[in-house]
Amino acid sequence: MRNKYLGAELLQQSMKLKQMGAEVAVINSKLCYVTFDVSGFTVSYVYNVNKKGKYFLERIRPYSLPLKEFESEDDVIAIIEMDLSQFKNAIKSHNIDQFISVSRRLERVFHQFEDLFLYYNVPEDEMKRLEEEVAVFEKDIAGVKEKAQRVFHEKEPEFLK
Amino acid sequence: MSDQLMIAIAIFSITYMLIMTEKLHRTVVALFGAVLMLVFSVEAQEQAANHIDTNTIGLLIGMMIIVSIIRRTGIFEYLAIHAAKLAGGDPWKIMLLFSLITAVSSALLDNVTTILLIVPVTMVITSTMEINPIPFVVVETLMSNIGGTATLIGDPPNIMIGSAVGLGFMDFVWNLAPIVLVIIVVNLLILKFLYRKTLQASDEQKKRVMDLDESLAIHDIVLLKKGGLVMGLTLLGFILHSSLGYESATVALFGASLYLLISKLDPEEILLEIEWTTIFFFASLFILVGALEDVGVIEMLAGGMVQMTAGDVGLSTTVILFGSSIASAFLDNIPFVATMIPLLQDFGLQTGQNISVLWWALALGACLGGNGTLVGASANVIAAGIVEKQGHKLSFKEFFMVGFPLMLVSVTIAYGYVAIRYL
Repeated sequence: MRNKYLGAELLQQSMKLKQMGAEVAVINSKLCYVTFDVSGFTVSYVYNVNKKGKYFLERIRPYSLPLKEFESEDDVIAIIEMDLSQFKNAIKSHNIDQFISVSRRLERVFHQFEDLFLYYNVPEDEMKRLEEEVAVFEKDIAGVKEKAQRVFHEKEPEFLK
Repeated sequence: MSDQLMIAIAIFSITYMLIMTEKLHRTVVALFGAVLMLVFSVEAQEQAANHIDTNTIGLLIGMMIIVSIIRRTGIFEYLAIHAAKLAGGDPWKIMLLFSLITAVSSALLDNVTTILLIVPVTMVITSTMEINPIPFVVVETLMSNIGGTATLIGDPPNIMIGSAVGLGFMDFVWNLAPIVLVIIVVNLLILKFLYRKTLQASDEQKKRVMDLDESLAIHDIVLLKKGGLVMGLTLLGFILHSSLGYESATVALFGASLYLLISKLDPEEILLEIEWTTIFFFASLFILVGALEDVGVIEMLAGGMVQMTAGDVGLSTTVILFGSSIASAFLDNIPFVATMIPLLQDFGLQTGQNISVLWWALALGACLGGNGTLVGASANVIAAGIVEKQGHKLSFKEFFMVGFPLMLVSVTIAYGYVAIRYL
């Protein structure tokens, strides 16, 4: 019965989207929720496997990381394995709670900035000021990195070169 | 009573009751009951397999495959928008056109499939117009059950009756379609009167419908053309199958396999969409009823029916038409008809009379009876579920207040027709 309702909902959605000018392709796929308990912290991921052999992986807890597309199951498992290993290491840090709290705030800041872009006509000088403040923040992070001791060596950082 | 007889009655009764209470999934219950018939040696495995009506199963699978492909073309979305624009956005005219689309589709596809295609597009049209979808959905549900009565392939009871008795597509059209047309007209006139106050729309609401573009709905014109060819051939096959000596399942499976072949779609994806739970439910019911036949229960029941009606076909027709309509209004009509078929066959054998009228009485009663309540047919339950998911409520009472009187009107018209034409 649930499958029938799902089909009916998909039909409504695709009809509305097509009227908006969209091309809609419905592909059968499996959605997997993966949860780990790392010393009391829940680390969870969601990934989607479709019949075209594409994998879409996203970390959802303790804070979300955006969706990425992968070509193979091995890539997905390797990414989860590495991510988990990094979390197991990071969780030993006395800053873990603060780190997660800051990460969530940054995520919120990103969405606030997006709203600014989507809902308001921001004056050029204000935009420039925000850009400068972001540059300062980036510089701060690079500075902290220089002063901090590296504790994870299995993989090179992706953004902090 | 022999042990086998007692065991068969116990298994069948418990299974039937559990199906009716809907506490457990009906397919699981029926399958478990069927397997228990084997476990308790009521019948042997091979014997049980022989009871499965491959014609019914093949016809269901064939039509499910065709529908699964054709729905991808967007034809129903196209038809709905086109009809709504043809109606100029007038709610009553939209309801009338959607009712006719539903009744015709339901005669060619099964009722549940028709509802799964028409109700979602109706919801889009009514939400675009910001009008109450409930009257539309109620009318479409009623029309799907009435339209499905007209043909061999329109409703599962007809498929089972046709297959068991050897009645073809044109037999159903010739005997049932004329009265179904009358019932549709009478129902629509009553429904127009009932919903006259709710079917109103402003010029702005009408304009929103007129702004929709039906050409956007069709996204695979080649698949649609192939679908037209396959449906045309399949319909022709149904019309001619009796004279050509083919079973209806052969026609449906030919259409399905041809469409699979020329559509070039992934067969795995299409076969996945076959409603396997329905197929297993049917197969299990055939085994359960077959076991009852083998141990002699059906013969005993038929004997009881002969005694009760004194073997009078006219009285039996009345009892079956009204009895099956009331039963179908509250119970699942598929197990009911599956049980009635061998019972009526035995009744015919015991009385030695021509009982062809009883088949039409059973088909009309079981199919039209589904309109009596919200739980009378799977199509009704599914329609209510779809609207509920969109934040609207189609209550048992609301459906009953419209559906039950209309069902009585429909069955009374059907009885008059059967009495005049056959008795």
